[in-house]
Amino acid sequence: MRKTRISRRSLLRGMLGGAAVSIALPPLDIFLNTNGTAYAAGGALPARFGLFFWGNGNLPHFWVPEGEGSGDDWQLSDQLQVLAPHKDKLCVVSGMNCKTENIIPHNSGAAGILTGASLVIRDGRDDETFAAPSIDQVIANGIGRDTRFKSLEFGAEDSGRSYNGPDSRNPAENDPYALFERVFGAGFRAPGDDGVVDPAIGLRRSVLDAVLADASALNARLGVNDQQRLESHLDGIRDLELRLARLEEDPPNLEACVQPEPPTANYEPIDGRPQLQAKNRIMCDIAAMCLACDQTRVISNWITGGVSNILIGDATAGHHQLTHDEPGDQPQVNAITKAILGEYAYMLEALRSIPEGDGTLLDNCAVMASSEVSLGRTHSMEDMPLLIGGSACGRIKNDFHYRSFSGDNASTVLLTLVRAMGIVAPSFGIDEGMATDSLGSIEV
Amino acid sequence: MIQAVHTYRSRAAALLMPAALALVFGACAEDDAETVQGPSDLSYDPGTWDGVNYTAQAPVMQRLTRAQYRNAVADIIGEEIIIAGGLEPDLASNGFLTVGAAASITSPRGVEQYEASAVSIASQAMSNSDVRDRLITCTPAGDVDDACARQTIETLGRRIYRRALTETELDRLTNVAAVAGDTIDDFYEGFSYALAAMLQSPNFLYRVEAGEEDPAGGRRYTANELASRLSFLLWNTTPDDALLDAASDGSLLTDAGLQEQVQRLLADARARDGVDNMFAEYLQLYELEHLSKDPTIFVHMSSDVGDYAREETMRLINDLVFDRDVDFREFYVADYTFINRKLAAIYNIPAPAREGFARAELTEDGGRRGFLGQLSFLALHSHPTNSSPTLRGRFIRETLLCGTVPPPPSNVDTSIPEPSPDARTLRERLEQGHLNVPNCASCHLLMDPLGLGFENFDSLGRWRETENDAMIDPSGDLDGVEFEDAWEFGGLIAEHRNLASCITRNVFRYASGRIESFEEARIIEGLSESFEKGGFQVQELLFDFIMSPGFRKVGAIESTTSN
Repeated sequence: MRKTRISRRSLLRGMLGGAAVSIALPPLDIFLNTNGTAYAAGGALPARFGLFFWGNGNLPHFWVPEGEGSGDDWQLSDQLQVLAPHKDKLCVVSGMNCKTENIIPHNSGAAGILTGASLVIRDGRDDETFAAPSIDQVIANGIGRDTRFKSLEFGAEDSGRSYNGPDSRNPAENDPYALFERVFGAGFRAPGDDGVVDPAIGLRRSVLDAVLADASALNARLGVNDQQRLESHLDGIRDLELRLARLEEDPPNLEACVQPEPPTANYEPIDGRPQLQAKNRIMCDIAAMCLACDQTRVISNWITGGVSNILIGDATAGHHQLTHDEPGDQPQVNAITKAILGEYAYMLEALRSIPEGDGTLLDNCAVMASSEVSLGRTHSMEDMPLLIGGSACGRIKNDFHYRSFSGDNASTVLLTLVRAMGIVAPSFGIDEGMATDSLGSIEV
Repeated sequence: MIQAVHTYRSRAAALLMPAALALVFGACAEDDAETVQGPSDLSYDPGTWDGVNYTAQAPVMQRLTRAQYRNAVADIIGEEIIIAGGLEPDLASNGFLTVGAAASITSPRGVEQYEASAVSIASQAMSNSDVRDRLITCTPAGDVDDACARQTIETLGRRIYRRALTETELDRLTNVAAVAGDTIDDFYEGFSYALAAMLQSPNFLYRVEAGEEDPAGGRRYTANELASRLSFLLWNTTPDDALLDAASDGSLLTDAGLQEQVQRLLADARARDGVDNMFAEYLQLYELEHLSKDPTIFVHMSSDVGDYAREETMRLINDLVFDRDVDFREFYVADYTFINRKLAAIYNIPAPAREGFARAELTEDGGRRGFLGQLSFLALHSHPTNSSPTLRGRFIRETLLCGTVPPPPSNVDTSIPEPSPDARTLRERLEQGHLNVPNCASCHLLMDPLGLGFENFDSLGRWRETENDAMIDPSGDLDGVEFEDAWEFGGLIAEHRNLASCITRNVFRYASGRIESFEEARIIEGLSESFEKGGFQVQELLFDFIMSPGFRKVGAIESTTSN
């Protein structure tokens, strides 16, 4: 794009179509006070949410920690040993069951643990969807409106199960470079950058208005269901207008925010094995900086998927096949689970390495980790894996293990997390999966 | 009742079936004196569907699949255009991306990607002088030239929106070009914003098909909607000018006009892309993109094997449907295939060409023939290191034969016994394992005996005689008919009673983006009968389907409850 003679002010006003295009931005009070512990405008630092979701479950008998309570009262289990550097920031919840239906292996469990609602199964083959938004979107609907991105979904090897509602999925970005480009690419301005705004941004924003007008005549020709689908698309366009408008504002003065370098490595599989670790780590670094730069307050990491049969480490067969076919204590499945949990440990590390206020970014986050089943061999939805990293600004107990001995509803943990984000929510989940009480034992 | 008895079949194949099966399949293909009769041979008897009382389902809005989006951009803007960024992934439903495209909701990220893609395409188009001069045939008088912009938008917009633009739309887009041109002091750069607006408009990204009253009774698709349906089904891309002309002059709504266009489209090389894509979705070959095999076990494995496998299958389909225009049942028993050096090495047969793909003959000694002897089946429905009779059997049962297999129950132990001295082969292990547990066997018997017929092929599709030093027994039975091995098995699929109806049903689902209703199932039944009687001619099936009410009629939109 050539240099132009127009001012940023006129672009912000908008000029296409002859009429002024005005965008009403919510107030952006993200200037911190001098010691960086709160907003200059007086608000406390916001809690941020992270999700780490992997496929094919764990091995419950190697997973559940010894002892309950805090500090020395509990010890990391064999599978959780890899989280030792972050035991002090970890809350383990065990013994919780998904109360939702278990009909379609893996998919039922994903719906149960992420939405607290049973999977929607329709006539026809493989025709399923979620009945309700997944936990990341429930939280993003509550805390995601003030930032450029409502939420960011990424994952080294899976497109994820972030749902806005039935048939409405947010596919995870699998390409580290594309994740970088989306947030920190063209148009992003780091703190202190008071240079010229790219005039193309204003023009693109104005084009979106023309597109909205252009689509308005379609509605009358659509059935009810398709009208909703179109409306969701148009909402996406309105969101994008806001996102572009954010780029035209002066960037916030967040101290820890540094524009990262673009990824340059090649993340293609080596010898048929995905570069799970390298891909996950670069994406975790980028995502952590997205939070530090307050580009979003909700990130979700869909590292692998249920039924995923990728070759991990030096395993002699695909992950999913091993969960079913490997006999005995399943040492290969155990090694794979530990390798994946090592990537959760890295995600926590990436957040912990960024100072924020008196502590680190991790202290102001809650990063839930889970999978769509517990024991993969039987597609069990009992004693589900549930970890929380960080304390959500001191609202969740850390260095703590809580175990339910009565198979309580896993949705209570999700409701606890929603409330820890400062969202007023009467319940989480639907019907048999619904929880109306949070898990007081892990709340501070 | 449906009277789908066609009067026009005079083709040799139709008369010789099914007695000719053995003849055609047994003979070496080069010896066949086949007369390929082009689409011009197809004709329609207007009385075919007389007396069929048929109410079509309500229309569904299909989003262009990624392939359709790419093809449309290449056709309208130019082959030179690179679609660099990502696009919202397609989701399969009932096996079809087109069915998923009629249900899924575009994510905010997807909208963002459509916008970025539109901006990138428009900017490439305006900065490449070849493309630009092709699209903009007038000479702009300055940074702003409303007449030139409007004329270009009118021509381009008709292709992009697959219909003529309204005056309001023309005004709006012309204004976008004018204001942007004035702002940036450049007509072409300014025009790129109008182009970007069209390329990210829901008018381009979605196919809205509302239908209209049919003077002959009921409701039908409008001429423009029919043009799109035709083009996306047969070419997997947007309609060309000739098709849009046939829509705007109304001829497409007549039997003769529609017939002429179907013949024209089928005769065009792009029909190969369309039929390729239809079968690729039916056979779920899009999964080959994620083909995962352990290269430490399979030395032939590399990232291009999935693409090669798809190419092999597509070439066989093209050969059967277009080059030779023969009985499609040969897909399951063809004693030849099209492979390159890599696939020849995996199949352990001499490479038919030094470079690229060429025809190779198959013999019974080699054990493989037809689609079920190809990587596209054998490798895709296996684990990364081991074969899987269950996955292979499930695909045959559900996808090729349109059967139903219930999902496995939850909370059962799914492990199978390790190889042991008295159970060395997978067949023996399965017999000790879930085939020995009544609760498991009730469903696994629908799948495993089929898949076990292919145990002579390992996870990648290489031939093997033994497993753990024990001879592999590939025999079994398919719905009561015994087979010796995979070679014989292909013949059983070719002759299976469900084959014609299963293919027909899937053609309907692919084209319609949804599952058939009870009434539509009766249309499918009629089409399937004539497909079978006519000797499994795929071009004829497509033709008959397009001419039928199943393709041309549509129900009323589900109206809103208020306002």
